[in-house]
Parts: sequence; C-alpha cells; structure tokens
Amino acid sequence: MDVSVADLQFTRDGRSVLQIPALTFPSGTTTAVFGPNGSGKTTLLRLIAGLERPSRGQVRLGDVPVRQDKAARRCIGMAFQTAVFLRGSVRHNLDIALRLREVSASDRRSRIEEAVRECGVAHLLDRPARHLSGGEAQRVNLARALALRAPVTLLDEPLAGIDRSARTQLLADLPRLLATFAATTILVTHDREEAFRLADRLVVIIAGGVKAAGVKSSVYARPPDRETAELLGYTVLPANGRVVAIPPSSLRPGEGSLTFMLAVEDVIDMGNHLHVIGTIEGERVDLRLPASMAPPSAGSNLKVHAESNIVLLQG
Amino acid sequence: MDDLQHGVAEAFRLLVTGDPELYQIIARTLAISTVATALAMLAGIPLGYGLARGRFPGRTVLLSAVNTGMGVPPVVVGLVVWLLLSRSGPFGSLGLIYTKQAMVLAQFVIATPLVVGFTAASVQSLPVELPDLLYTLGAGRLRRLWIVAGEAQLGLLAAIMAGFGAVISEVGASMTVGGNLRGSTRVLTTAIVTETGRGNLPVALALGLLLLALAFVVNALLTIVQQRQRS
Amino acid sequence: MKRLLCALSILPALPAIPALPAAKPCGEITLATTTSTQDTGLLDSLLPMFKRETCIEVKPIAVGTGAALEMARRGDADAVLVHAPEAEKAYVESGDLIEGRRIMHNDFLIIGPTGDPARVRGQKDAALAMKAIGAGGSFVSRGDGSGTEKKELELWKAAGVSPASIAQREETGQGMGATLLVADARNTYTLTDRGTYLAFKDKLSLVPLVEGDPRLLNIYHAYVVNPGKHPTAHRSEAARFVRYLTDPKVQEWIGQFGRAKFGQPLFVPDAQTTSAKAGQPEETSGRSAARSR
Repeated sequence: MDVSVADLQFTRDGRSVLQIPALTFPSGTTTAVFGPNGSGKTTLLRLIAGLERPSRGQVRLGDVPVRQDKAARRCIGMAFQTAVFLRGSVRHNLDIALRLREVSASDRRSRIEEAVRECGVAHLLDRPARHLSGGEAQRVNLARALALRAPVTLLDEPLAGIDRSARTQLLADLPRLLATFAATTILVTHDREEAFRLADRLVVIIAGGVKAAGVKSSVYARPPDRETAELLGYTVLPANGRVVAIPPSSLRPGEGSLTFMLAVEDVIDMGNHLHVIGTIEGERVDLRLPASMAPPSAGSNLKVHAESNIVLLQG
Repeated sequence: MDDLQHGVAEAFRLLVTGDPELYQIIARTLAISTVATALAMLAGIPLGYGLARGRFPGRTVLLSAVNTGMGVPPVVVGLVVWLLLSRSGPFGSLGLIYTKQAMVLAQFVIATPLVVGFTAASVQSLPVELPDLLYTLGAGRLRRLWIVAGEAQLGLLAAIMAGFGAVISEVGASMTVGGNLRGSTRVLTTAIVTETGRGNLPVALALGLLLLALAFVVNALLTIVQQRQRS
Repeated sequence: MKRLLCALSILPALPAIPALPAAKPCGEITLATTTSTQDTGLLDSLLPMFKRETCIEVKPIAVGTGAALEMARRGDADAVLVHAPEAEKAYVESGDLIEGRRIMHNDFLIIGPTGDPARVRGQKDAALAMKAIGAGGSFVSRGDGSGTEKKELELWKAAGVSPASIAQREETGQGMGATLLVADARNTYTLTDRGTYLAFKDKLSLVPLVEGDPRLLNIYHAYVVNPGKHPTAHRSEAARFVRYLTDPKVQEWIGQFGRAKFGQPLFVPDAQTTSAKAGQPEETSGRSAARSR
C-alpha cells in the first residue's frame, strides 16, 4: 500500500510546522524521513498515523484518506520513539496489541512467537515489560509493531536512546526484519547512518519543507542546496566564485582539478594514518593522510584537492 | 479517658445487642455514601481523563476550578443544594428536600471534584504516548479510557478513597439537606451531632468509633486491592 | 511584582499568629444555654450590654438542654440559662447548679398548615389538640432532648397518645430553627417556642393554631455552676451575670426585647415572681424566696 500526501499543511500555535505540496511513499519500499530535530518529521509521521489532523490538505493510505477513524488505523503499525508498555509481561503487551486488532487467538500465538523469535527477544516473553533495558525495550517495541503485519509500518527514531552495542546489533538486524514483516515502511530519523543503512528511499525535510525525495543514491548525488548538502554530510566550500559540496573523506593532499588551501590546526597520529584537522576558507574539514607522509605542522598551509563526486551547488 | 472507655464499651454494647436503629443508621450511611461515590466515579473519571489529555482553550482554568472545588467546604455545598431544593427554591416542586436523594446529590457534588482532580493527576503521570499508542492500535475512545484507567489503577483507587472518605465523614451538607430525620435521613455523622447535643457523650463517642471503624474497613479493602496492583 | 507576591504569600499564615492576648482584667465566663435562646437573638444584644457594664466577657455555648445541663455537671460551664424546669430539678438536687433564679418566660405554641387538617385551630386545651394531631395529621419533633421536646412529650402523655404510635411523626434531632424549616417543608404540625417562631415567621408558611394553655408556658432559669464541685468555675463572675439578669433595668429591657423587630415582645420578665408558683422548682441556694427588688 502506498502512502501519499497532497497539499499538506500543519500549523501549531500560529506557527507553520509543515508545508508539503506533494509526496509519495511507494508501496513495498522503506523510506527514511531524515532531517534535523524540529524539522517537522515526527509531525509528518503523526499525520500519517492519524494522530494529528492537518490544517489543510490530505494524507492518503492507498486510495483512502486518513480520517481519524478505526478503518484507516488498521492499515498502520507504529512504534513510538519511547517504547510504551502496559503493566504486565511482554507476552501480555503483544497479546493486547493483537487483540485490539481483532486477531484470532491461534493467530495471535503464532504471530507473537514469530515476531519475538525474529527480533531476538523470545527469552523476554514472561519478563515484566516495564523492566526491560533500553535495547530490549526497543526490540520488543519493534516486535509489537511488526507483529501487526500492517500494510504501512511507521517507526519513530527506532534506534534512539539505546547503548552502542545494542544499536549496532539492531542496525544490522533491522533491514532484514523490515524485509520479512513490513510492506511499506516509513521511518523517521535524524541520524544519517541510520537513514542510509536502513532505507531504500530518502526524504529530506528541513524546517517543515521537503528538500529532496527519491531513491537514496540520487538524493545523495544531487543535494539541491547548501543546507541539504551539509545535512547529507558534504563539506560545503567556496571555489572560484561558486559553491561546491564535497563528499566526506574525498579530500586528498596535493593539487588537482579543484585545489584548496587547508590551514592546518591539529595533526593526530592515529597509528595507521594521520588525522589532520584544519579549515578551508573558515570551513572546518578533516583529512586523512597516509602514515608514511611527513606530518604537516600546525599553523602551516597544505594544498589539498577533491577527488570525485563534487557537486556544484546553486548560489 | 473515662468517657473514652465508656464510649468503647457503649460501641460494643450497641453492636452486640443488635440495636436495630443503629444498624439502620449504619446501613443508610453506607448506602448513601457508596451511591454518591459511585456516581462521582462515573462522572469524574471520564472528566478527569479528558482534562488530563485534552488540549483545548481554557483547560488550565478548568483544572484550577476543579482544584478549587476539591477545597470547597462541604457545608457550603450543603447550603447551595438546600437553597436549590427547598420549597421556595427553583427545584422545590421536586419535593427532594430532606430526603436521602438530596443527600446523595450533595455528597455527589462534594466527591466529584476530588475524583476528577485525582484522576487527572494520575492520568497525567502516565507515559504521554500511551493513549496515542492505543489509538494507533485501533482502540476506540471508550476502550482507550478503559485501558488507561486500568494503567492508572493506583491513582484511580486513591481517587475513590478520597471521594468516599470525604463524604462518609462529612456532616454539614448531610445535616442541612437531609434534616437528620430519625428513621429516614439520619446517618452516623448527624447522629453524633444529635447525641452530643443531648449530652449523651458515651453514645456519641460510640457512634464516632463506629464511623472510624467503618471508614477504616472500606479503605483497608481498597488499599489491599491497590497494593496488589502494585506488583 | 515579585516582592508583592512574596508579601502576599504570608497572608494564609496570618490567622495562625496568635492574637495579642486581650487585656482581661475583668474575666470571662462560659454560659451554657440552649439553641432556642440563641435563635431568638436575646443573647446577641444582652451579652454586649453586660460586658459594657461589668467588663466581663460571656461566651455563650448554645446546645440542646440536655447537653447544657451536662456541661454544668462536667464543669465545662460557669453559668447556665435553660428552660426545662423538670430536668433542672435533678441537677439542683445533685448540687451541680446553685443560686438559681427565675428570669423570664415565654410560651409554646402549636403551629401547622393553614388548611389545618386536624381541626385544632383555636383549641384551648393543648393536650386535646395534640390528641387530634396524633390521630389525623402528622408532626415534626425536635427529638433532641431539649426543653421543647420534653414539653411535647409531656403533652403526648397528657393526651394519652404514645408518640411512637404516630405514623407520620418525624424527629430532626436538631434545634428549633432547623426543625421549623423541616416542618415547613413537610407542611405539617410542630410545637415551637414563641421566640423562635417570631424570628422565623417570615420564612414559614405554617401558622399559629393553638396557644394560651397554661401548660404551654416555657420558663427560663439561670444558675451558677457549683464551684464546690468544680473549683475552676468562675463563681463570682457567674453570680454577677445571674444577678444582672434579675436587675430591674435589665428585666424591663427583656420585657421590651423583640417588640421593634417582631411587633411583640418575645419574653415576659419574671425575676420578681416568687417561686411559689405551682410546678416551679424551688431555689435551693438558701436565700429567701421573696425578693425585694
């Protein structure tokens, strides 16, 4: 089931939070809605879930507009940023969720077993849901959303607030889980790595407006402006009167087609390479030099050039 | 101390000899306060939930009004209800003055702000996303209220105990709107006033001890339920 | 603004600050009296007059007659002003009350609905009237052990009617004022003292139906609580108060009380009356019965 948005506007306290003329999430894809905090991405997710009513415009699930009624909600499975559980065991929580969806008793049993097995939390079934660690809670939260087998799955910052090792693990498991259980997935994140690792498509939202939408490679290759480029990780630098966006880690020492002067501030010996920190025209940049090179001294100038994928930005 | 001993002795004597008037008074006291508290729950819990969750203009004002309502002296409530129900009042033709129904009404007015206030506080202390979660799972409004009430059980039981405790022990409103009529609207608190007025201190004390015991038993039951939910 | 708020925040605490102890060179006494007496407003005017003249503060505690007499027995009061001569006898005999003086009287009347279903209007014999009411109408009683209730029970007895047998007799267990309101709401008969009736007249739809029977007299006595039994009783101030009530000036004032407000006085002053009247308790303080005043 695809999700589409038309002429969508959302205002809160007189302030315009979201303005999206048109946006589509094609059926069967996983899209990351990516943007800085406060950009309106969670609001977009809530509008799709029917938790908020747009000031103008419409959200459609398939052909059906999301009005705040039960039928539309059947199409949605949502996992919130903070895992919220009822009193009782993990099993009880999953059971209630499925019961609210009027899933039969035998189906409930099999779905719960499958979901917890795949999410790696089968051993927690009889644990009180409120006594789980951050990582465990997020997995159960996920298992609950996935067990619903909804046509559209919404995940709000699925990896937020969990420790590093749990996060790494989940980051690795999530794409497979989404592929197994979820049809269309929309996930919201402010983390670039999550967005690129988990999704096929990208929607970049800054200050309530969509800056770019599409397959992630094309979105990455063509940032429309400076803000989006920086969000995507580019280093934006002035060059010959133009503005260019340079992908991370593509600066090399020496001269090339586009050469810059790096003012060295710090050089750190990382063992197998040298980590140089400095500025180009006031923009902070990082540079890796092979360990074999003679380390430049702080305060000196170093010629560097960009290798591939330079993007020319407008203005 | 002497009087206290007499009071305890009198309390036992009255209970053990099965004084029918006393049993009537106890039954009446429980009936009126229980009905009033039950009605206050029916009205107050959804109101408290709505107040906690709602986002509408004037919400803060309404919440302040409820909090003030919790502090209104019961005797003032009694006075207002009496003015409304007395023969010369706007609802005089209903003939409700000096009846048990009038007492239930007054006690309902006293208990409801307490139930609303406690419920709102306990719902607000729940995770804010809980009703959202239930919404996305497809729960209708009533179902959501039911589940949230279940989650807020500890707080809701406190609300009931607060409401019940307030009305079973109050005397001003019950006296004013009920009239303390022997055999029909006399309850434990108003009976204590009468016996004290007669100078019948051992009996008054006995009634007081019985009232305390009654309130304790009810609260103990509710507390047991509440604490069991805690695990 | 902040400072104003800080200043205002002490307001709730102010009542807790103990009031500067008022200079009390003249003392104060606790007077146990009845709600009927209180309801007439007599004390509201009389006590400040007493204070102005003697500087003694009188604290009136208005309760039922039974409780007032009990207060005396327990030593919780210094002086007593009640109107239940039969009940008072026991306390005089036991020595709890001394220096009793008859102060005033008013009377009781039977009031009821204007329709008068029991047909007692104008009946001169109060007991017969009660008999008719017991048979036909309904009745609201104070049921609080007060002088008024005792008078009511005396009348039922004289009529040969057992109060428990009357189907529609309700007891309020409260003071005269509250009982009048209930009787009015029920539109039925009740026995009331004239003082309270006059004070409540405008609020009631009930009307006087039976009055004048000598049995309906309501006699007030004032006593000093015996300091021999309760050493903390303020005897001299209490005795001063009782004397004040019998002072001719005050007696005259009592005789006029209520005229301005109700068109007729509420009480008939009695201090000159000897105690030789039938049915009145003797003064047992040992003073001579005939007083020259």
